[in-house]
Amino acid sequence: MPWIHIANSDQLQDGDVIAVSIDKQNVALYQDGDSYFATDNVCTHQFALLSDGYFEDGCIECPLHQARFDVRTGKALCAPATTDLRTFPTKREGIKIFLHVE
Amino acid sequence: MTNLHTNSNLPVLIVGAGQAGATAAAELRKFGCGKQIILCGAETHAPYERPPLSKHVLADQERERDIFIHPASFYEDHGIDLRLGTTVVALNAKEKTAYFKDGSKTEYGSCLIATGGNARVLPELPQSTPGVHYVRTLQNARDLRAALESKTHILVIGGGFLGLEIASSARTSGHEVTLVEAAARLLPRALPAVLSEWLADRARAIGINLRLGVSINAVAVEADGVKLNLSSGTSITAALVIVAVGLHPEVELARNAGLRINHENGGISVGPDCSSSLAGIYAAGDCASQMNPFFGREVRLESWQNANVQAQCAAAAIAGAVQPKNVVPWFWTDQLGWNIQMYGEYDSTLEYVLRGEIPSALEPGKFMLLGGRAGVLRHAIAINAGGDLRQTHPLFERHASCNIAALADHTQPLRKLVAVALNACA
Repeated sequence: MPWIHIANSDQLQDGDVIAVSIDKQNVALYQDGDSYFATDNVCTHQFALLSDGYFEDGCIECPLHQARFDVRTGKALCAPATTDLRTFPTKREGIKIFLHVE
Repeated sequence: MTNLHTNSNLPVLIVGAGQAGATAAAELRKFGCGKQIILCGAETHAPYERPPLSKHVLADQERERDIFIHPASFYEDHGIDLRLGTTVVALNAKEKTAYFKDGSKTEYGSCLIATGGNARVLPELPQSTPGVHYVRTLQNARDLRAALESKTHILVIGGGFLGLEIASSARTSGHEVTLVEAAARLLPRALPAVLSEWLADRARAIGINLRLGVSINAVAVEADGVKLNLSSGTSITAALVIVAVGLHPEVELARNAGLRINHENGGISVGPDCSSSLAGIYAAGDCASQMNPFFGREVRLESWQNANVQAQCAAAAIAGAVQPKNVVPWFWTDQLGWNIQMYGEYDSTLEYVLRGEIPSALEPGKFMLLGGRAGVLRHAIAINAGGDLRQTHPLFERHASCNIAALADHTQPLRKLVAVALNACA
């Protein structure tokens, strides 16, 4: 699959997380400084949208049970999550943010 | 951090393989503890999380596989000697020896008691009564799930978090549910009245027959079920009764070993690093009573967070590592399809402000109640607003004085309002 245009840079600011969807897939898009990261938007512990959670220092905290994940790697950092999140490569061209889905 | 036992090669013995015990075993390895770790539990299942038992595990057997604290291979991979279906029946603290149910014994360097607790039993309705269920273990949940398949009308005794969760799960799967609670409102020690009323409205709106302010005068076990005579003058007969009237800490082993017990809350009295009154023995989780820096008094907390945090403190002490920092007490429950999270605790003398709007009984929504005294937040409750609750964490952590009413302006993102509040008191 090619790079897909998923959002524009004016839709979020540093420290924000927003929900985007591609086909039927829920994706969370994060801005950390000048960098953009993308992961699955659904917590690996129970069904909750990470885009409703708390994003700080490159980590997203689930709004339901405070499981934390590193958005760069998707790694599950603490209980109750034990399974890592899927991540997606991102790139920015001008104001357009693209995501790559395998 | 000094530890008298760091030179000893004797094992670390963890008694109790619940949330605290299984977490402590993992934390010990994270802290670099290279000793043998024995983790023993009375139940025959690998360590699992209890919160799902009253929720999706009750409705769906398939969900059992999601509840285990560690993957099945974890214990072998980390050299943890997991002994299930056994208990330690006695501890000799002087000789640092533990005696198992099967007659064997082991010497230990350090021992962590994480025995949790048992469901508090109503004397009139012992656990063996036909048609009566208590929910504490996975086996209890399985038994109740099986019973729910054949019974349509159920009676829940106790309107606490557990009783409400069970009532909600059973109602969602189509059962006729009656819930009897002695207090005049739901969760009077945990929630302000406005939230108790909102929860009661929701419970009634989904069809739960809620009987508040009603106590049980007499119980009779009859052929068609359990008959309860209520203080309201009426009686109810149900073929399936679930009793959820609290937890009794399991401290018999500790008491017999001579450990100091807190007489008010029944927990094993421990210090900041979870060390008990006797050298080499620690306690963590539902069975432990500890001075809590946030509350400013000794408390026994029954929460998932507390089990994990105390397990971490005990593991750090045993491994000779630096103690983790204090946490803001946090609690969550899933009620009637709503996620409720709290920092701090309810106190009727706090002044509460509402952020957002309380939706009517069956409407969706999200809102928060923020309770404070003299401008300092002491209790925050978030309904379907866990992300927002997390924004208030720095205010709790720093005991920051702020204009709490300003935080209630839900036209502004909470993150921004908290930043303003923190700047103002910096």
